[in-house]
Amino acid sequence: MTGREAADRRRALVCVAPTVLALGALTVYPGVWVLWLSLQRRIPIFDVSRFAGFENYAFLAVDSRFWSAARTTAVFTLGSVALEVVLGVAAALAIQTQRRGRRLALSLLLLAWAMPAVVAAKLFEWLYHPSAGLINVALGRHAINWLGDPLVALPAVIFADVWRTMPFVAILCYARLLAIPADVYEAAQVDGAGRLGTLTRITLPLLGRILLLATLFRTLDALRAFDIMFVLTGGGPAGTTETLTVYAYRALFQTLQLGFGSAVSVVVFLLVMAVAWAYLRLLRAGAVTA
Amino acid sequence: MRTRLRALADIAVILALVAYAIPFFWQLLTSFKPEAELLRVPPLLPSRLTLSHYKVVITQSLMPQALGNSLGIATLTTLLSLAAGVPAAYAVARLPLPGKRFLLLAIVASTAFPQIATVSPLYLLMRALELRDTWTGLVLVHASFALPLTIWLLAGFVREIPIEAEEAASVDGAGIISLFRWVIVPLLAPGLASTALLTFLFSWNEFLFAYTFTVSEASRTIPVALALFPGVFEVPWGDIAAASMLASLPPVVIVIALQRFLVRGLVAGAVKE
Amino acid sequence: MVALRRAAHRSLWLLGLLAFGGCVAGQETAPVTLVFKYARILGNADPLPALLRQFEAAHPGVRVRGEALPWASDDQHQFYIINLEGRSPGFDVMMLDCIWVPEFARAGWLLDLTPSLKPDELAPHFPSAVAEATYGGRVWALPWTFNVGLLYYRADLLAKYGLRPPETYETLVEQVRRIRAGERDPTLDGYVWQGKQYEGLVVNVLEAFWANGTRVLAEDGTIFPEPARAADALRFLRGLIESGVSPAWTTAADEELSRRAFGDGHAIFLRNWPYAMDLFEGQDSAVRGKVAFAPLPGRARGEQGVGSTGGAHLGVSRRSRHPDLALALARHLTSEAAQRAITLGAALSPTRQSLYRDPEVTRDHPAMPRLQALALAGRPRPIVPYYLLLSATVQPEFSAALVGIKPPERAIAEAGTRLGYFLEAVR
Repeated sequence: MTGREAADRRRALVCVAPTVLALGALTVYPGVWVLWLSLQRRIPIFDVSRFAGFENYAFLAVDSRFWSAARTTAVFTLGSVALEVVLGVAAALAIQTQRRGRRLALSLLLLAWAMPAVVAAKLFEWLYHPSAGLINVALGRHAINWLGDPLVALPAVIFADVWRTMPFVAILCYARLLAIPADVYEAAQVDGAGRLGTLTRITLPLLGRILLLATLFRTLDALRAFDIMFVLTGGGPAGTTETLTVYAYRALFQTLQLGFGSAVSVVVFLLVMAVAWAYLRLLRAGAVTA
Repeated sequence: MRTRLRALADIAVILALVAYAIPFFWQLLTSFKPEAELLRVPPLLPSRLTLSHYKVVITQSLMPQALGNSLGIATLTTLLSLAAGVPAAYAVARLPLPGKRFLLLAIVASTAFPQIATVSPLYLLMRALELRDTWTGLVLVHASFALPLTIWLLAGFVREIPIEAEEAASVDGAGIISLFRWVIVPLLAPGLASTALLTFLFSWNEFLFAYTFTVSEASRTIPVALALFPGVFEVPWGDIAAASMLASLPPVVIVIALQRFLVRGLVAGAVKE
Repeated sequence: MVALRRAAHRSLWLLGLLAFGGCVAGQETAPVTLVFKYARILGNADPLPALLRQFEAAHPGVRVRGEALPWASDDQHQFYIINLEGRSPGFDVMMLDCIWVPEFARAGWLLDLTPSLKPDELAPHFPSAVAEATYGGRVWALPWTFNVGLLYYRADLLAKYGLRPPETYETLVEQVRRIRAGERDPTLDGYVWQGKQYEGLVVNVLEAFWANGTRVLAEDGTIFPEPARAADALRFLRGLIESGVSPAWTTAADEELSRRAFGDGHAIFLRNWPYAMDLFEGQDSAVRGKVAFAPLPGRARGEQGVGSTGGAHLGVSRRSRHPDLALALARHLTSEAAQRAITLGAALSPTRQSLYRDPEVTRDHPAMPRLQALALAGRPRPIVPYYLLLSATVQPEFSAALVGIKPPERAIAEAGTRLGYFLEAVR
């Protein structure tokens, strides 16, 4: 190793030292600690603090509320991501066809994405109000109890979340579409491809990779989602909008059951990591064949 | 065929504009509607506009302090995150780092980390260090959460810097600090701006940690103040609408004035590997 | 160089002077600020600011800062436990829902008031309010306001059909059918109550349990000692919604939503707390002069109806830096004069029994003596430190049964299992 290389290695270590320290102390250490907590029965209010092994997990395995939350998380994630991707691509394509008003459309979309989820939640809570909400006023006599009806509450939350996060997919696709050189389309036209043909055989495949990335981001975000359902419905009615994160948070901080709540958190952690790993393998496989 | 597809696209754009503009405008309208008319719809439009909700929010609620807290915490988070992230990104992109693959893996894994997983141990940690209800505690947590994405983005931007610029500087005998100060950071400026904006927005919008670690108006941020907006038995929709408008101000400013950087940051995060 | 040294000396002197001045200034009384956390009070005129200023006038050098809590009881509770779990919560006097007192006492967040209280100081208050303020034989809070569940009814409608206030729910259902058939008003609901998934739901369900002769916790600590009766009570409540006696939005209704529906004249019966009466008798009320209240009905083959008691207590934080002043503030706010002011200005009922026959109060609220009788008959929710854990665990199950997505038997069974697992660590 040359002196220059050794100096560079030293410099590199110095450069990453603060990061390693911060991540180690505030992400890795708590990540391990939560595993330890999940193996305990820990309730500060009652001075309960004892090792319990896998008791919490054994209970979760047969807990109906846990499985209901898992189901809700799955439905929310799949529904949300599917809608976002489809609508995002459609929005990007539609904006691209416009000559004027692109900036306005992009600004509005970005605004919805940039504002805090709590603001969007309050916005929709008011829109969904059973008597004074804009949606029910428009529906008149066919008014629906959006946040109170167990069959409608989850779709209502999904819709609010899609509204807020679809712009992310739209912007990514739009940027990618802009990067497609015009001669690609010209060549397709010369070959006699119609609009629809161009769409399916050229545009969408070129969008493929970025869509996969966008889907990855959005899936992970949807699995971890907390703000929107916590503020909009609190997990109700009757737990129909309670995802695993809300269940974990309620267990942790509504009743300070730190051991049990940590067990639910660990399940979320493992789930998210598993999904991330699966996606990354897909991405790498795609990169190899592309 | 072409015109029909064009018409379809036009309709789609109009629908999108309507779907995204109406909720904002309805909330804006609600914030100016007199209290008595809020629940009596239709008619949708108010008979007169009133500033009473804004008055309540500004004089009687915690929103002004929350605004200050959010501004301070988001700014500090951004500064801290960049201060630690720029050197790390440079090291990852350009220097022979021992264990680089491992670090990269850790960084990528951290971007997927769910906040709920660490909130209970962090709660105990904050309690032990007496950092609850302080700016410090929240800034540290936010910065550590934003770091992985910051490094990922910045590494991509660093790789865009032509290596010749660095080589020229080191030929001139520049040490690493001068290298950063005169070459890296200026060339990185647009990428820094994008990353800074994304980090600022993340910290501004963050809810779970802020809700758990803030106690009083000493450190409560905007999203928490909005979520905990006090009513008596019933919900003060007009006041909440006014508070929502105030809470959206920085994002609005960023989107309108700094849109270019924001989009660049978003795209860079997805396109760069 | 010399100039530098001179400048350094000068600045050192200046610093010293400032420090000295600061010390002297500090020795004069720095104002003591007490922080009082409470939920904003509904009513024509909020009497709290005046009471706080009164206290400041009586204690020169002391300032009291009132801070608002979030609006729902569950949110307030979560706020308290997240904050009190830390070292210094930053507030001295706290408004507590009566159900939190045993829990906060057990957690060590409240100052033990027993040594500071005079003997019989709490005698003027309702016995159940005092019981709710006591844990482990010691007193942890001062009773402040009182609540008991009541049945409000449209006296004009009942009189029109020659009916007396119902003593059983079965009678109530019959009366609703008759009146609605006669009135033929599609916007007139029958019986509105609180079915949203929150603490209020547990109150309503407990009242239904008690009317059906069962409860959630037995004396020996058994959970759901008579599960069949509990399931039956839940089924009855669900039946009210299914049959249309109660509107579908009951499952999203809290106190205010149900009060508004009744207060706009769209319901015949309402279960709510005493505060609503003042609002019904307000100037713009659509039901002014038409509302009366009665005890909650029972079940035909069950027991007599009994209202749940509730209310707020004032506790002193154990980590308060000024415990004596804080206790003085709590005493001031729960004194007879203060409770009278609160009853007159806001729609809250006092815990001091004498005020229910006080001439000034009964002039404005003639129904007070009757309310006192009902209050004495009221029954508290389980006074255990793990009540909130219990409530948070059963809420989603009760809600699921009410909303119809789970059969009542399964809801009770699952609630029991989960509660058993959580409570075994705590009892």
